[in-house]
Amino acid sequence: MPRFRLVRTGSFRLAVAYLGLFTLSALILGAVIFVAVRREAMGDIDERIREETFSLTREFAEHGRDRLAAIIGDRNAGAGAFAYGLTDPSGVRLAGDLNLQEAIGAPLTSGWASFSEPDRDELGERARDIIRALATRLSDGSTLIVGDEWDSGDRAGRQVLAAFAWALAGTLAFGVAGGFMLSLHALRRIDAISAAARAIVAGDWRRRLPLGRADDELADLARTFNGLFDRIEQLLLANKHAGEAIAHDLRKPLAGALRRLDSLDRARADEREGIVAAAKADIHGVLDTFNALLRISQIEAGARRASFRPVSIAAVARDVVEAFAPAAEDERKVITSVFDDDFDLVGDRELLTQMLANCIDNALRHTPPGTQIRIEGRRRDGGGALSVADDGPGVPAAERERIFQRFHRLDTARGTPGTGLGLSLVAAVAELHGLNIRAFDNRPGLRIEFTMSKSYS
Amino acid sequence: MKVLIVEDDSEAAASLASGLAERGHEFSVCATGPDGLAAALAGGFDVLVLDRMLPGLDGLAIVKTLRNRGVTTPALFLTNISGIDDRVDGLEAGGDDYLVKPFAFVELMARLNVLARRPRAGGEPTELVVADLEMNLIRRTVKRGNTLIDLQPREFQLLECLMRAEGRVLTRTMLLEQVWSFHFDPHTNIVETHISRLRSKVDRGQPMQLIQTLRGAGYSLRAPV
Repeated sequence: MPRFRLVRTGSFRLAVAYLGLFTLSALILGAVIFVAVRREAMGDIDERIREETFSLTREFAEHGRDRLAAIIGDRNAGAGAFAYGLTDPSGVRLAGDLNLQEAIGAPLTSGWASFSEPDRDELGERARDIIRALATRLSDGSTLIVGDEWDSGDRAGRQVLAAFAWALAGTLAFGVAGGFMLSLHALRRIDAISAAARAIVAGDWRRRLPLGRADDELADLARTFNGLFDRIEQLLLANKHAGEAIAHDLRKPLAGALRRLDSLDRARADEREGIVAAAKADIHGVLDTFNALLRISQIEAGARRASFRPVSIAAVARDVVEAFAPAAEDERKVITSVFDDDFDLVGDRELLTQMLANCIDNALRHTPPGTQIRIEGRRRDGGGALSVADDGPGVPAAERERIFQRFHRLDTARGTPGTGLGLSLVAAVAELHGLNIRAFDNRPGLRIEFTMSKSYS
Repeated sequence: MKVLIVEDDSEAAASLASGLAERGHEFSVCATGPDGLAAALAGGFDVLVLDRMLPGLDGLAIVKTLRNRGVTTPALFLTNISGIDDRVDGLEAGGDDYLVKPFAFVELMARLNVLARRPRAGGEPTELVVADLEMNLIRRTVKRGNTLIDLQPREFQLLECLMRAEGRVLTRTMLLEQVWSFHFDPHTNIVETHISRLRSKVDRGQPMQLIQTLRGAGYSLRAPV
């Protein structure tokens, strides 16, 4: 797996995007705190300067300018934190070494000033100290300046900034590493899924996508796709099965027709008519199969949905039962029907007729004399159920769902005539009408049930 | 019977023509829609056989045009696919019958025979009579000689079809369509069992058997000659 693919993964991009967003918000937060801390520290400095100024002005008020100059001289020489300056009204320095005139190039007689003072430190280590100073005009016109290094306020801000920078660097490192890990994990799963999909494409239809250990959206997606593959496999198998069945079902009558036509030359004149009729019957059987297949595809194509109208299922069933009753009676079978009133469906009357007729056909064909066939239509809450049931030999459970597949015939039915398409057509019509079709054990016998989830009237 | 065949498949047309000729019927063949329409408008045919798909003008359009111009010659459509929409479209356009390819020639002949002698509009009979069998369509009663015969509704309908087509063959498919409106082929012997019931009610014990079974073709009702 080339490493740069990691960078292209969705998880990595997502991680980077989150990281970017986080960094931005951390920077904003850091800036706000920096400013706040700095302002707080500044406020402290200003307060101290103001207090110092206040005590000095009081000295000045009580003892005069010379006394003030002396105090300043003392304090300046000591280890006090403050810097001082005292100038007479004409700007001549009287005490202290803070000279605003020099520092900011303009005489300041009252108010706040901030400036950097070059090379105030004897050691020359800190070339530029920021000075905060308050100038006060005294009553005799001279100016008192009290200043302090701003450095202390700045230092607090810088500490905050440094802490933030470290935290941010750690977060970024963890974030990038986490993003890589996540991407690697996602990429591994996706690679596994891709590999499985490629195997399926290559013809391994049994293969399914791995779900992974986590029951997450990727597993969900894989599950959905596996469902799709199940369906495709089913269709492929059905197709394969149908293809084989068509070949099997058509070969027999076609071979029969060929054999009969071959024998025509050798046949006596009075036999010929019978041979031709039998060959025709063989070929008709083949055509019947094709017609049934065509009809099923047409039904499945759904074009007839355009001509759907409300149909009384009860009336359809009555007609069908009536049509089949004499034939059933001849085989000593009985068809009964029970229907709830207003059992209607929006659909195609002709197809629904054929659907029921095929079910009864099927029941008649595969049951012994004495069988009871019962058609029932019952309304249920919000829908209804229609069933065709017999008490004949039934269908083994394993085969019950397959009776609707094309050309599916029970082994016991191999000898009986029929295309093996009757119930496929039933299923196609049911599906067209949104009916859910299922085969059940009628104990004994087979019950085909159609359920509709929505009621039409 | 004079038949107009409008069919672009020359092989199919030739096979139809030879079948008709064999049975002593007259025919004309047109290979395109416009030719067919012109021939049908010129008149003189008892029945039209039209392919649904034709070059130039399809069968449906031909019959629509004919009906608009007041030509009532019965028309039978040949369709390729067994779609109900095809059949319904054909009947709505003014066609009288339809047949899905491929078909048995006897099936086509039976249908043409019925179409060609279908009574024209007006004069709907109230009574059908074949030999000593009488059917009253108003009172819905059937009498054989002087004996009233009790029939189920479907049996009555079946007998009515046979009597109206007196002497002509009705195939199993035709009866399924006309009596039961089944446009598909149930494998169960619906027609056979009904015919057998009808026969036992109409013909049993009678010196003259009216309901005839024509093997490989269908049924007809006529007095044996």
